[in-house]
Amino acid sequence: MPGLGASFGRGAATNYQQDMANSDCILFMGSNMAEAQPVGFRWPMEAKEKGATLIHVDPRFTRMSAVCDVYVGIRSGSDIAFLGGLVNYVLSNDRWFHEYVLAYTNASTIIEEGFRDTEDLAGLFSGFDSQDDAYDAQQGHWGYEEPGNGRQAEQDASKDTSQAKSAKGRHGLHGHGMDGNAEPHTSPSKDGTAELRDPTLQHPRCVMQILRRHFARYTPEVVSEVCGCTVEEFMRVAELLCSNSGRDRTTCIAYALGWTQHTTGVQIIRTAGILQLLLGNVGRPGGGIMALRGHSTIQGATDVSTLYDTLPGYLPQPAAYDGTHEKLSSYIVHEGMATGGWANFSKYIVSLLKAWYGDAATPENDFAFSWIPRVDADYSALAYFDRMSKGGVKGYFLTGQNPAGGGPNAGLHRAGLRNLEWLVVLDWFQTESALFWKNDPNAPPPSEIKTEVFFIPAAAAQEKEGSLTNTQRLLQWHNKALDPSGDCRSDAWFLYNLGKRLKQLYAGSTDPKDQPLLNLTWDYDFDEQPRLPDGTLSRIEGEPDLEKVLMEINGHRLDETDPHSGRPRLVSGFSELKDDGTTACGCWVYSGVFPEPGRNRTNERKITDDPFAPEWGFAWPNNIRVLYNRASADPEGRPWSERKKLVWWDFEKRRWVGLDKPDFELDKPPDYKPPPGATGMAAIAGNHPFTMKCDGLGWLYSPGIKDGPLPTHYEPVESPLGNLLYPKHNSNPTVRLFEGPLNHIAHSPTADYPVVATTFRLTEHYLSGPMSRFNSWLNELQPEMFAELSPELAAERGIVHGGWMTIRTARGRIEARAMVTRRLRPFVVEGRVVHQIGLPFHWAFAGEVVGSNANDLTALLADPNVSMHESKAFACQVEAGRLEGHAPQPTVAAAPWPTLDPIPDTPASAQPEGKLGHGK
Amino acid sequence: MASREKQLSALLQTSDPPRGLVSQLVQRLIYPFRYGEPPKPRPPTGFYTDTTVCIGCKACEVACKQWNQLPSDGFNWSGNSYDNTAELSATTWRHVKFIEQFGEGSSAERGSLDVTVSDHNRWLMMSDVCKHCLAAPCHQACPTGAIIHNEFENVYIQADICNGCSCCIAACPFGVITRDKVGGHSHKCTLCYDRQRDGLEPACAKACPTQSIHFGPVDELREMARKRVEELYRRGVPEAYLYGDAATDTYSELHSFYLLVDRPSVYGLPDNPFNPWLHMMGDYFRSIAGGLAAIVALFVVVFLLRS
Amino acid sequence: MPGESGYAHLPVTKVPGWHGLIAWDALLNGMATGLFMAAAVSELAAPAVFTPVAKVAYPVALALLLVDLGLLVSDLGDPLRFHHMLRVFKPRSPMSVGTWCLVIFSLPLTAAAALSVLSELGIDFERARILAVVVALPFGFGSAAYKGVLLSTNAQPGWKDARWMGGYLTNSALLMGCGELLVLSALMGQPQATAILRIAFIVLLVLNLIPLGLLFANLRPTHARLYTRGQQWLVGVLMFAAGTLIPLGLTFLNDGLIFICGALISLLLGSWLIRFVYVKIPHTPPLEIRSGE
Repeated sequence: MPGLGASFGRGAATNYQQDMANSDCILFMGSNMAEAQPVGFRWPMEAKEKGATLIHVDPRFTRMSAVCDVYVGIRSGSDIAFLGGLVNYVLSNDRWFHEYVLAYTNASTIIEEGFRDTEDLAGLFSGFDSQDDAYDAQQGHWGYEEPGNGRQAEQDASKDTSQAKSAKGRHGLHGHGMDGNAEPHTSPSKDGTAELRDPTLQHPRCVMQILRRHFARYTPEVVSEVCGCTVEEFMRVAELLCSNSGRDRTTCIAYALGWTQHTTGVQIIRTAGILQLLLGNVGRPGGGIMALRGHSTIQGATDVSTLYDTLPGYLPQPAAYDGTHEKLSSYIVHEGMATGGWANFSKYIVSLLKAWYGDAATPENDFAFSWIPRVDADYSALAYFDRMSKGGVKGYFLTGQNPAGGGPNAGLHRAGLRNLEWLVVLDWFQTESALFWKNDPNAPPPSEIKTEVFFIPAAAAQEKEGSLTNTQRLLQWHNKALDPSGDCRSDAWFLYNLGKRLKQLYAGSTDPKDQPLLNLTWDYDFDEQPRLPDGTLSRIEGEPDLEKVLMEINGHRLDETDPHSGRPRLVSGFSELKDDGTTACGCWVYSGVFPEPGRNRTNERKITDDPFAPEWGFAWPNNIRVLYNRASADPEGRPWSERKKLVWWDFEKRRWVGLDKPDFELDKPPDYKPPPGATGMAAIAGNHPFTMKCDGLGWLYSPGIKDGPLPTHYEPVESPLGNLLYPKHNSNPTVRLFEGPLNHIAHSPTADYPVVATTFRLTEHYLSGPMSRFNSWLNELQPEMFAELSPELAAERGIVHGGWMTIRTARGRIEARAMVTRRLRPFVVEGRVVHQIGLPFHWAFAGEVVGSNANDLTALLADPNVSMHESKAFACQVEAGRLEGHAPQPTVAAAPWPTLDPIPDTPASAQPEGKLGHGK
Repeated sequence: MASREKQLSALLQTSDPPRGLVSQLVQRLIYPFRYGEPPKPRPPTGFYTDTTVCIGCKACEVACKQWNQLPSDGFNWSGNSYDNTAELSATTWRHVKFIEQFGEGSSAERGSLDVTVSDHNRWLMMSDVCKHCLAAPCHQACPTGAIIHNEFENVYIQADICNGCSCCIAACPFGVITRDKVGGHSHKCTLCYDRQRDGLEPACAKACPTQSIHFGPVDELREMARKRVEELYRRGVPEAYLYGDAATDTYSELHSFYLLVDRPSVYGLPDNPFNPWLHMMGDYFRSIAGGLAAIVALFVVVFLLRS
Repeated sequence: MPGESGYAHLPVTKVPGWHGLIAWDALLNGMATGLFMAAAVSELAAPAVFTPVAKVAYPVALALLLVDLGLLVSDLGDPLRFHHMLRVFKPRSPMSVGTWCLVIFSLPLTAAAALSVLSELGIDFERARILAVVVALPFGFGSAAYKGVLLSTNAQPGWKDARWMGGYLTNSALLMGCGELLVLSALMGQPQATAILRIAFIVLLVLNLIPLGLLFANLRPTHARLYTRGQQWLVGVLMFAAGTLIPLGLTFLNDGLIFICGALISLLLGSWLIRFVYVKIPHTPPLEIRSGE
């Protein structure tokens, strides 16, 4: 996500899935969309039917590759080399979209004098602090050159050094580092309207020249050597991308966890961002970058923020060690931005505080800003479990997550759980995390484990209502079909009632530290007992009305009452928000989702001829489906071509119109030039589409990322090979390693583990298994853990197809059935043969079918930007045979036949077919 | 598991009022002979499955199981690519097949460092189902009249009539039907007869995300399929063809036909399906002839030697 | 083996659950209908000689038929629903033809048998008895003839090529019937009947070789796929010896009871073996798969 935010301004997929049907060419890399998102995959298939070319670049030939036109196999972990090669191809062969790049990107912007590239420093950028293993963007002179005497673009020298430290990301704020653009101390320029630019692109320090130099070494031959593909394959892909971009044609790039789950994940995405900007595909129909999320609502999980370091809407969580975060005013000054969409920062934070604390938040008490908890360290998931495994956590609530099965270095995660005093698990089956104390084959006996485990049965998806936000930022409501059985309750019920009871517990307290809890607005009870779709009353007591939550998220005007509802009036969008305390809004990016009483836009289901389906659900921001769509028109406001028109300037009406809602101020003419010193949206020119950026441009060079303003190829932390491009720095120098006895790492290059391992998904199962390995119909489709390997590797190790094999890494050993297949092949990389295996990560020790857990092999490593682990490329060794000791046994008996008792009130001939004729 | 099966089998499979033993017996004797009003014929429906857009997701297999409440077939890792359910049966009415066709491995195995990549690597995927033949051998073979062509011209087994004689199993050239273990009756795809009667499309067609499985009136499907084959020729896929859309010399047309890109036997389908009933009259003739010859011989001997 | 995954080497059709019991059913069907037909034809051709034997033969045939019907019903997947086959008559379904033939056949056969027993006890309804026999004859023939058609009109490997299975089974039914009638005559001490039937038996033994040979010609490619040459020769020799050579030899040699019984038993063994090997065909995996294990 930061990769996209850093390049374009918002950390989300730029287009919507249906738009993929408009592409002329789609490159799938780090993605297995046909297997992982089969329902969404109908749109690329439609594109194919219209004549588009589908390209799949992946370490394995998957069910996706089977329907793509071109498949190129590359070694897992070499994505930046491949993409960098594409960038180099585009630049050296002059295939970039000139008018677009010149007008819409920061290609012409000139960078500060002292900046040094990896070409100059043999693999590092300037500003590297080897003590902290982090970059300091200021020391590195990553910023834009300021006009005047060429002085470096700086914040005030009066800034705290502690603040400068926080830029290093050690205990990093991630903040709207999710967007990667709004940390002002790494903002490249003080004044987005006054950047120095060279339109001829010849200045040695302009971004275009830096880009050329930086990617010059990614020649096709180097790509072939590092990735293991042939030069011909590479060139074919390059040619296809180039010939399908430009005025008349657009290319889309789709990625998923094959890119994000690397220590260089953010930079891989950045490279794609650079490529798409150079080719002029961003903001265009059938173009852009589709970030295919791995969960139905993970986009929502980052938007409304379950992350520890952001508040809803990507506002940074204040930090205890950052002095500027003590007061609201200094927080706003330092976290907001003078220009661009983030200039309204103060309105968003104040409205959030009013939503949370209601009347208790007043201008006098800084709108209760001091009540928001401050982070004082890294509480991201991996760091948390590292801390837990060292005994630093007492208790834990685990709702709908399975770290004991799905966490990277799952063994360490389970060790962490064993150190807890208490654990509450909310789930619908007893997953590995609920049974770690009893069924873990690698754990000490239950008598030695002191954790008290509470298992709270959870409602299933159809037994509760709520909204989901999918990969294309679309919010959709799902209605409740029936009550959960017995004691099962929804997560919302649990947390809401927990909050109520905690408030009761602390009621009447005058202790200042209890005030935040007591003053939290917490009134989401139903006005009357809700009814189920069949008209009966729900029997569940105490369920929160989530539409009330959604209304809070949408926002209210507190100084106006709606005459119909008698409640504060709902706002129609984030442009109505104010910073004087008269508005409240739970998440500004979602504002507009519930603009009138009774109008839950996420629950709208109108299908018309309009392919954008604007009345189906609600897409943030503002129901815009294609982000940055100003870029679909040329600088004068006319579409680049009739075929690829999306939004354009209506010269008569003096407005932006089009097929999608314009992601631009509707009445800002294309020739608008901001006056010097303008602030807010007025600082964004009429031909600058990326309005969330301080200068409105797409950033080819983006200094907000913690491991470099430009992507660089590094090997995965565990790799049998060294870095061919920069031998002095094998892996990402800013990666976070969690040292410890449970987390041994075999650093690249490692000879002990010569086989590259990658993990992958199967359509038939879901993640670590809780949602699929308790279902017989899915289990019969893929019953056992297996590993895929090439016949060559199998022959070398004496592994027989259908037999058993063991895989071991520095952290653990597992066994799997051997699927010997030609869909995997050895690669010739850097002059030697490198083997690869693929491991599905769906099995663990709880369920109807059980098996070894691929996550017992992976490591606890984190990239510096988002603490993402690296389970897509690590090093292992494989052998024929099985593990000693007993294999885990299923914890649940297989569902018997018939799966249900006969349906009541139904004659025999109308029972489901599978029940008929039981001897009667 | 067996005891739970027995337990559930013993339950009344209906909410009709319970009956005494004699009443049950009489009911059993009479029930199969009762006939209702036959439904009016409707336009024939069927499936057209385009295997070139199949992504092997098995949504069809699961949707069918869920809708019809069929049991799982057990958990057996077969190693045959991603196909672990192995075959169509009484409890699996949609079955997705995978065929990996990959060229020789890289030359790396021969010690050289050239990596040759074949452009003809393919992973074929196909969702197998009952073919709903127009002149279905199973329909011909069935002695109880359990197998009928319903008003949609689909082949349907009335599971409350079937007595498990297995003639249909022997007769099907595509190996679609087997008997279930609990009741001993034959089951197969019903083309979601219950859904069709309520105006819905079959569960598998509904679930298929890439519209590989098309459902509708058969002549529309044929039209669509033929256009698709032409389109594929234009795109440089000359090996595409339709299987079962038209009658051959030896077999009728199928109402569930396929678009394939390799020989049928690669997909586990008969290359030249043969309708066994083409031999029936001849076999009867030979059977009668053999018997008559013996009778005549016996008669002659007895007659001539009778005194 | 990778690269050989796929379905080209796997069987396409499914095997019905017809095992050894079917072989016994085929045998008993032939024995019952054959005995009845032999007795009926003999009685009609030479009533003076054969009526006493026939009167014993009919009840025996009925008993054999009832056992056969019991086997048929128990072999159904759901035996309690056997009466469902009487819902319809489908001439294109050999099983339906056979079911109806058997059901209809059993009625006049029961009458004939009952009347035969009654006549032994002194109550004589000769014309009714003959009428029953005549009425039963075509249905008895049908009951014998349908079996082979049922076993060859399907898609099973091997079976679908056996064009002469019907011809063989019907012919073999008469052959076995003749043999059974011969034994019955010998047991009852009817020398003239025995003498005539000896000659008829020999003629039928030789005649049976024709459909049998034609059947084997049909099945040769299948057998070659399933069995080694050695196995084929062994079974073939056994079948020929038990089914033809030994009965021929024994019948030629002597007309003593032991010889005649021995001939019948050998014939029945040989017939059973032929049916058994035939029924096993779809259950036998091809040679290359068996040897590959």
